[in-house]
Order: sequence, then C-alpha cells, then structure tokens
Amino acid sequence: MAKKEWTKPSPKLLEKTLHLMHDGFHQRAFPDTAYDLPEALGDARWTDDLITSAWYMAETGECPDHLNYKTGRSGGGFDKLEFKELPEDQHLPEDAEIDISLELNRRGDERHKRTIDIPWYGGGMSYGSVSVNVMMSRALNAKKWNTLMSTGEGGYPPELYECSEHVITQVATGYFGVEEKSIQAAPIIEFKYAQGAKPGLGGHLLATKAGEEVAKMRGSVPFVSLFSPFPFHSTYSVEDHMKHLDWIKTVNPTAMMSVKVSTPHDVDMVAVGSYYAGAHIIHLDGGFGGTGAAPEIAKKNIAMPIELAIPKVHKFMQMEGIRDNVTLIASGGIRTADDMAKAIALGADGCVLGTSDLVAMGCTRCSNCEGGPSGRGCPWGLTTTDIELQEWVQQAWGADRLDKYYTALANRLKQILRQLGLSNIGELRGRTDLLRYMAGGEA
Amino acid sequence: MLATDLDRTSDNMGDGSMTIQLPVAEQARLNRERADDYHRYHIDTTETEHRQKFPRRFNVKVGKFGLAKLLVKEFFKYFGHWDVVFSRPCTYGVFSGPVGGFSPRPDLCVGCLRCEVQHPEFVTVTHNPDLAALGDSYLTSKHISTIDEEAKKGSVPVRGQGYRGRFGGPGFDQMFTDMSEIVRPSRDGIHGRELIGTSVDLGSKPMRLKFTSDGGLLDAPKMMAIQVPFIYAPPPDSVSTGIIPEILAETAGIVDTLAFLPESTVTNQGLASPYVVPMIAPGQIGNIESHGNGTRMIEMTSWNLEAWNQIKEHPLLVSIQLPFAGDWMSTMIEMVDNGVSIIHFVSDHHGESDEGRFVMDLYQEAHFALVEKGCRDEVTLIGTGGIAGADHLPKSIITGMDAVGLDHPLLIAMQARLLGDTKTRGAAGVKLPATFDKEWAVQRILNLSCSWRDQLLEILGAMGVREVRRLRGEIGRAMWCGHLEAEAFGDIEGFPGGEH
Ligand code: SF4
Ligand code: SF4
Repeated sequence: MAKKEWTKPSPKLLEKTLHLMHDGFHQRAFPDTAYDLPEALGDARWTDDLITSAWYMAETGECPDHLNYKTGRSGGGFDKLEFKELPEDQHLPEDAEIDISLELNRRGDERHKRTIDIPWYGGGMSYGSVSVNVMMSRALNAKKWNTLMSTGEGGYPPELYECSEHVITQVATGYFGVEEKSIQAAPIIEFKYAQGAKPGLGGHLLATKAGEEVAKMRGSVPFVSLFSPFPFHSTYSVEDHMKHLDWIKTVNPTAMMSVKVSTPHDVDMVAVGSYYAGAHIIHLDGGFGGTGAAPEIAKKNIAMPIELAIPKVHKFMQMEGIRDNVTLIASGGIRTADDMAKAIALGADGCVLGTSDLVAMGCTRCSNCEGGPSGRGCPWGLTTTDIELQEWVQQAWGADRLDKYYTALANRLKQILRQLGLSNIGELRGRTDLLRYMAGGEA
Repeated sequence: MLATDLDRTSDNMGDGSMTIQLPVAEQARLNRERADDYHRYHIDTTETEHRQKFPRRFNVKVGKFGLAKLLVKEFFKYFGHWDVVFSRPCTYGVFSGPVGGFSPRPDLCVGCLRCEVQHPEFVTVTHNPDLAALGDSYLTSKHISTIDEEAKKGSVPVRGQGYRGRFGGPGFDQMFTDMSEIVRPSRDGIHGRELIGTSVDLGSKPMRLKFTSDGGLLDAPKMMAIQVPFIYAPPPDSVSTGIIPEILAETAGIVDTLAFLPESTVTNQGLASPYVVPMIAPGQIGNIESHGNGTRMIEMTSWNLEAWNQIKEHPLLVSIQLPFAGDWMSTMIEMVDNGVSIIHFVSDHHGESDEGRFVMDLYQEAHFALVEKGCRDEVTLIGTGGIAGADHLPKSIITGMDAVGLDHPLLIAMQARLLGDTKTRGAAGVKLPATFDKEWAVQRILNLSCSWRDQLLEILGAMGVREVRRLRGEIGRAMWCGHLEAEAFGDIEGFPGGEH
C-alpha cells in the first residue's frame, strides 16, 4: 500500500484541531471542570500534577492551588529538599522589590555585558528535533522576557534572526549548521561538549526526522541519519578547547562563551578547566533531563544527577578562588520554579529549561519524540518537523503560553525569596542552610 | 650503492638479520585483501515478532454514544470539509480501523494522550494492569517489557524526554557510571568507527612465560576467550531438558560465548560443543573424560578438594561454582590456594546471598580479596544472579566480575512467563509460548545479546574505555548515589547522617 503523503492542514482542520487541543489542556488543568487527571499521565519525575500545573500556569500566568506544582515523586534530589520558610511575619512584604535578574559576564573582560531579567534561559533544541514554530515560540518569548534561548545543534533558521539578540548559537561536535553569520549574530556562543541525557554518546537525529529542510539547514543529505560524534574531534585537552574559543573570538570578538558539559566524576575539574580556557558560563547538564531521544541506558546510569553536581562544582570553584568570575548554569532535570530555587541554593547562579518549555506547550511526556511508531514525531506538534503535525504549535500561541508560564515561574521564585527574607536571587546562591532534607517523597 | 629490488623490499633488523618482504605493490594488494576479509565481531539481528501476545501498554476506552454524538455534530459543522470530518486525534492508527473509534485498536497505542485530552468526555486511556502484573518485586514489568523490546528488535531502546524513574534506588540502581568529558582514549567507538573490544578471557593469565632452553614455550597458558562478557547460565530445573538447552547451546555458538548446561542434558541430548559447558557434580567428576566434540570447559557444581585434585591437571578448563552462602570467602581462598582458575559465583535471582546481601557488595569483596592476595589475574570470576537489565552488566564488571551469567532474561526473551517462587534458583516455574520453535527463540536471544552488548558499548564509549577487560574492578568508574548525596547534601538539615 502506498504511504500516505501528509500535507499542511487546511485552515478548517487547523482551527478544529487547535481548538480541541487547547480546550483539552484547559479541561485537564483547571479544578472547576468535570474531568480527573488522565490516569496514564505522568511519571515519578514529572507527575501528573507537575504536567497539568505547567498547563495551568501557561494559561493563567499563576501557580495552581489545587495541584502540587513544586515537587515530583522521584524519592530523591530536588524532590527531597524543601526551603526553611521564615515565619510569616518575617516575610518580605508583597510589594517589596525582588531582583531575580542575572548577570552573565562575570569575567570583567571586554566581551558583551549581559544581564537577563530572569535567572534562567531556554536550552538547546535543534531544528530537526523541533520545528521552526517551536523555536520561534521560544525565541519570541525569550525576547519578551529579555532572556535567551539556544539553537541546539541543527543550524540557525533564518526566521530566528529577528530575535538574534536573544538567541545563543550552539556549536556542537557535528558542527551541523555552524556558519560565520550565525556566530556573528549571537551574543553568546555555546560549545556543547556533552549533554546530560546521553553523556559521552554524542547526538543522533534519526533519518526519518532529517527531511529536506532539516538536511539543508544542516548541510546534509535528506533522510540520512545524522550523528554528532562525541567529543569534539579537535579537542584532546583544555588547550585545544581554548583554541576553539580563540577561533570564535576571531569570528565574533564580542560574544560571550558558554561551555556545556555533562556531569562526570571530575565535573569540578572540567568546570575549572573550562573557566581557565576562557568560558564565561559553565553550563552543567545533569543526567535526568534532555528533550531529544536518548538511549534509555544512558539517562539513568551514565553521569550524575544535576542536584549532586552543582554543589561539587560550586564548592570547588570557591576553593579555586574563581567562583565570582564565572556564571554557573544548571540544567537537565530542572522542572519547576522550586527546582530552580533549590539549584541556586545548592550553588548555581541560574538554570536552563528545556522540557518545561515543551510541557507548557502541551507535552505529555509520552517519550515518542524520536518518531514513535508513526515515524512522524510528536503528535502534539512539538518534537517534529512533519508538515502537518508541526502546525499544531503556532508561533503566537506558543510564545504566549511560554510568556504566561514564565510569569508564573518568576512570581513563584520571587515568592520563595520573599518567604526566605531575601530581596535578590544572588543572595540565595549556595545557601544550603536555607534548605531542609525531607523524609518521604518516595517514588 | 645502486638500489636493488632487494634493497627496496627488505628491512634491516639492526642485528644483522634481514627480513625479505614482497615487492611493495604485491604487499599492498595482500594488505587490501586482508582488510577486505576482516569482519569486525558483531551479532546479526532481525526483528522477531512475538509468538504469544505481549500485554499492551495501554487500554483505550471510547464511549460509543459520545463518539457518535461528536461525529454527527462534526458532520454538519464541517460538511464538505471532509479532511476535517475524517480527521482523527491519533497519529498511530488506534482509531483508523474499519469502524474507527467504535472499535479502537489499543495495541497500537503509545500513550500520547491526545485523544483523551481532546475528548475527555468519552475517551479514557489507562495503563494495562496485565502488563503491570508481570514480574515480581525485583524483575519488574518495566524490566520485562524492556527485555521483550530488546529481544524483538535487537537494538538499543531509545526514547525522548529524559528519565522518568526514581532517584537512585536499591540494588544496581545505587550506581551511576562515570563518563569522560573531554580527554578520552577512545573516540567514536559507539558509532562504529573505532573498535571497542568486548571479549574476555577465561582461565588463568600467566604472570610470566617460561621457555625451554631452545626457545620453545613451556606451560602454554590454559585459557580461552569469549566474544562477550556474558555467558548463558543454566535454565531452571523445569526446563533444563528439551528445547531450551538446545536453543541456548546453539545461540552460544553463534554469539561465541558459552552455555552452561547440566551434564546429563548435554550427554542425553548430544549437545557437546566448544560452546557448551557441561556442569558435573563432584561425585561424577570422572565423567570429564566423556565430553568430546570440542568441549573446552566443564563446570564442577560445588567445591570439593578431592574431586578437584582428580582433574586439576586435565587439559579442559574447569570452572567451579560457588554460591554466595555461608563462609564463601574462605572457600574462595581455599579454591584459589589450590589452583582453581575460574570461579563461578551464584546468588539468587534477586542478586542476594543467603544473608540477603546484594551482589555488588559481594563482587567487590571477592575481587579485592584476590587483588590483596596478589593473584587477581590468575583467576577468572563469573557472577550469576540478579541480572535484569543491560546496565547490570557493566555494573557487575565494574564491581569485579570478569563475566556475568544471564538467566531469567533469556527466558523472558523467549516470552516465557515465570511462575511461583522466582527468587530461589532453580525453583521458578516457566510457561513458554504455546507455539514456539527453535529458530525463533535463537533469534530472540541473539537480538537480546546484541542489544545488551551494544548498550555495554554505550557505557564503555562514554567512559572512553577501549575494552571491557579494562573495566573489571574499576571502582573509580562507579559513582555511588549514596556517597554523592552525602557529599552534596551532608550539610543540609535533616539529611540522614549529615552534619545537622
Ligand atoms: S512526543 Fe511530544 S508529547 Fe511526547 S514526550 Fe515528545 S515532545 Fe512530549
Ligand atoms: S493515547 Fe495517543 S496513541 Fe493512544 S489512542 Fe490516544 S491518541 Fe492514539
């Protein structure tokens, strides 16, 4: 039987589908509707409550009272930590000014100085793993919030240039889509050495997802599997890594450098080495996150969860006397505003969100991103470039969802600070004395 | 001096001797031929469907009345826009049967929940309780469905959107494995451009070679290599004769590993081969002489000094089984002192000793005792028991085993259902698929073996370790969740054993 040729949905089909989807997110996330949470939704890390509370936030800009939007049920890490809230009469007043902005260049060099308004930005999701619509939703929202998002390793779709001040260009081991133009356009260049979900394994875009446009952007042939090797073939040492940074400096003398690494035993040494090679941002990517497809064996077993890596790196950099010269960013398993605050209390300066952005735009965490049995990718239009499915996420809708979601996250972060009597997110960094390890919370 | 052909094709060895080489073009041709002949070790996989229905992941229930109401409404609302009228929420074909949603096909459901989120008034998708009921507290339904997928496809399971399970955990979940971030000795191994070796040696590595006065090798080492660091452990008693041993023996030959089988089965079913290890009780150890047809190794089923003394000079390799029970450590030392070169540790199916201690601790104790004694390389350690997932393989090796025995996963690969006591070795009841043939089962086990080997390569590749032999006892490659938590959270109030 001939394979069905999919086409762009007609306006009527688009209208019907979007209406049903958006209405569905509402029905499940709000307390006043007749429907329970779907029985099959959620897992120990992203519970049904966490997923639907992200939908609620993305629709209202507020945190839901009827759902647990703070922790999952994994039985460890962030899910076992809570803040030692001060008695209510010691909270900062509701109208007190709370500063959650984050300065990214702490080296004091001649590069870009950049302060983002919130202590997080969007992690790399490549064109190919997601559509232009998803990328643009994130970029438009990053612009609105004066923060950033990363291209991932799949090139720089031309549409992104309108948000270029808010787009990090990623250079990863396959060098897919790396161009002088996109490097020159970026305020920050991110060198991805590894990613937490598949540390030490490189990347792999399945042939089914490497269609005409994706292949063109990556300078490849359509429908051929694309491997990003691990690691950079030109890097055997910190000195080699420094040459990478010098190369970028030649192409874009003002860009800041971010180095994204995963979390091996010696992550502290790697971080310090990266700093001495010239990095402004050390981006640690823990093992439990990741938006793309990854071998199941790698996610749980290789490298350590981000909660355990942050204090290790933070303390080591303090001992080295360089902690205040570098921005430490954590990702890979950061789901909520509470997770972000805990990551900062453990020693990070800020965070990167990936999965959370997708969940806010409707991801149910069904894990069929690599194509699933249909071979077409995400049925919700997120991790796909299928001509029909990608239309289920419209740019304006996606950007609006993220805007409201970020509003709720920012407000929750400020609330945590207020309850701790802190007026600046920087004051929370490394304050493990404000945390308590909880009993319970089992998976 | 004029250059001659001989000059151009010979190497002066520096000691006055000369090796004569072929002319350059001829040498190049031969090299090319040799390269073309070279086949890197691999296991051939073929997608191999189920022989009995595997419980589906989800049940999909559609309210007929609600669906009919929706269809009528949409028919009139979108009359003429047939793409809209006939659109379905499911991209996986659950509602694309002859009568659409009136008779859904839940076997195709992957749980994306689009249907239920879009139509909460008449669609519900639930986890299938039949799937959840598989397995026991150790070999969970998650393990079983993963093994089933691996045995079906022969590939590494890949999924999107991160990890979904608990943080750390008991047993093998206590360990994360390390990776090497920038500087690493092996590059691209997992993508096939560079070789990562998975072969292991069984037997005693000689610490030095001894030669006769005329240069001949004295005491050639008694050892052999298998291509993967796992062997097929004997099946439970209820299936230790018949087709199962035949399947294991045949698959072991294809994979180039070993199937350990009861001696009586090997003899009665004529299964002797270089890839089969007859397991002989000490009382029958004299039978060692009767195993021909290329048999390379036998296993004595328990330690017995007298029996060992009878066979220790025998040309066949001998492995001796040692359960993790009682004072196993003293027994191990006694075995080693008496020259045993292969010890096969056995725990129960939950990876526990008779005292309930987990194998990762026991493996380390055994390994380091031999390191301490200065004879670790003279002994091969094999560990069987508690292996339920691909990650358990490298974790057993990191904690000190040279090779690991697979037991229940092989039966699961053949779609067997385990019944009754699944913890005690040998006691489990096994229900095999009703229609079941050898060729199918061999391919399923080949697929599982390939998938697990490939996943081992992922772990080795991430570490930058070129061969699995180097992973043995490399405790530095382990990151223990408990230790890391103590380091990270030790100063946080309420952390058990912390500063507060
Ligand atoms: S396929 Fe879509 S909904 Fe499912 S996990 Fe991936 S992004 Fe989320
Ligand atoms: S949950 Fe997804 S895969 Fe399952 S029937 Fe519904 S739409 Fe199809």
